[in-house]
Amino acid sequence: MPQEQQELSEEQIRALQEKIKQMSPEELKEFQKKQCIFCQIIAGKVQSRKIYEDEKVFGILDINPANPGHVLLLTKEHYSIMPQIPNDEIAHVFVVAKSLSNSMLRGIDVQGTNIIVANGIAAGQKAQHFITHVIPRKENDGVDFVLPQKAMEQSEIEAIGNKLISALGAREKPEEKQEAWIPETSKKNEVPEFKKPEALSKKEAGKEVKDAGRILSEIKLDDIAKLLGGK
Amino acid sequence: MTPKSSERCVVCQIIESRIPSKKIYEDELAMAVLDVNGANPGHCFIMPKNHYPIIEQVPDDEIGRLFQISNKISVAIFESLGAQGTNIFVANGIPAGQTVAHFTINVIPRKENDGINLQWKPKQLSEEEMSTVELKLKDETKNIGIEPEKKAKKTLKTLEPQPVALSEEEETYFAKQMRRLP
Repeated sequence: MPQEQQELSEEQIRALQEKIKQMSPEELKEFQKKQCIFCQIIAGKVQSRKIYEDEKVFGILDINPANPGHVLLLTKEHYSIMPQIPNDEIAHVFVVAKSLSNSMLRGIDVQGTNIIVANGIAAGQKAQHFITHVIPRKENDGVDFVLPQKAMEQSEIEAIGNKLISALGAREKPEEKQEAWIPETSKKNEVPEFKKPEALSKKEAGKEVKDAGRILSEIKLDDIAKLLGGK
Repeated sequence: MTPKSSERCVVCQIIESRIPSKKIYEDELAMAVLDVNGANPGHCFIMPKNHYPIIEQVPDDEIGRLFQISNKISVAIFESLGAQGTNIFVANGIPAGQTVAHFTINVIPRKENDGINLQWKPKQLSEEEMSTVELKLKDETKNIGIEPEKKAKKTLKTLEPQPVALSEEEETYFAKQMRRLP
């Protein structure tokens, strides 16, 4: 995985912000691509060991692998985080990830695989291009993922569960009775409703990307993404 | 083999409400519940209603659907729990950390210094080692038959669960490692 981008100075950020404001959407996209090493790889301008390619995705060997055969599955389109990706592409990416996992089990003598996505720096994301990691696993391979177990109080389970149900939208609630969750602020109403996958028109798709941009700005993915996601 | 349900599977028992859980999403094919012993509060797992021990047995249209749901839940975690990040995490096979013989996707809310570690120490491979693994994988991936447009449509429209079409030999091969699971 490549290292994080260099920190930008206050001045550079301001200058960049000004520059970005003047850009058309097409120029903005071009700018993003130029900044992104993975877009350069997909364009063939930077060398890589390609394992798989189709019209939507591009799979390469990680040069800093967790294990031999570790594949980075990239979307050809530049997305910073998963929430920006249209539903049909999500489906495609993970069907390919499953196939890659299958290829590893058959082809390189491993007994397991991990599929990992990190959204945001706090989650361990280092690149500004959406990446799905498919990692071959063997017993005692030195890869040591730590997922602690934190027990939750019953009241906390209810509160968090209901917040999630509410954010997922009424249409997709389980049918069982559930306690109404009273929003703490009226801001709750601003949470965009989830669209059914089949009802995603072009306009809505654009909106979704904008929403994701807002999220992006909140999670401070990196300096450039922050600027792009800002007002 | 029938993928429908397994008497002894904990996840199947959750799906059939024989074990209580906090459900946050359900449709014809899938269910998502809160992990009450999660890595962080809000940790969810998403599972197909059909009993598939490992990912290779899950049909493509269900894979697509399950990860679309995972993405929605990840967005809901950002929006309603104020998470700074999310991880999507899948473990296939015991060496990868799979503990239940029913395919599940974990969606984990993240905050700085939350005690979770999904990082790795990069292994140094020689050029030759890289080339060898590259060739072996390429040899397998050339058989991947994905038709993007068709698959995408199918994912949205097909709701009927479809049994896996693995040959007996393949089934044994993939299921063998899962036998040791409780």
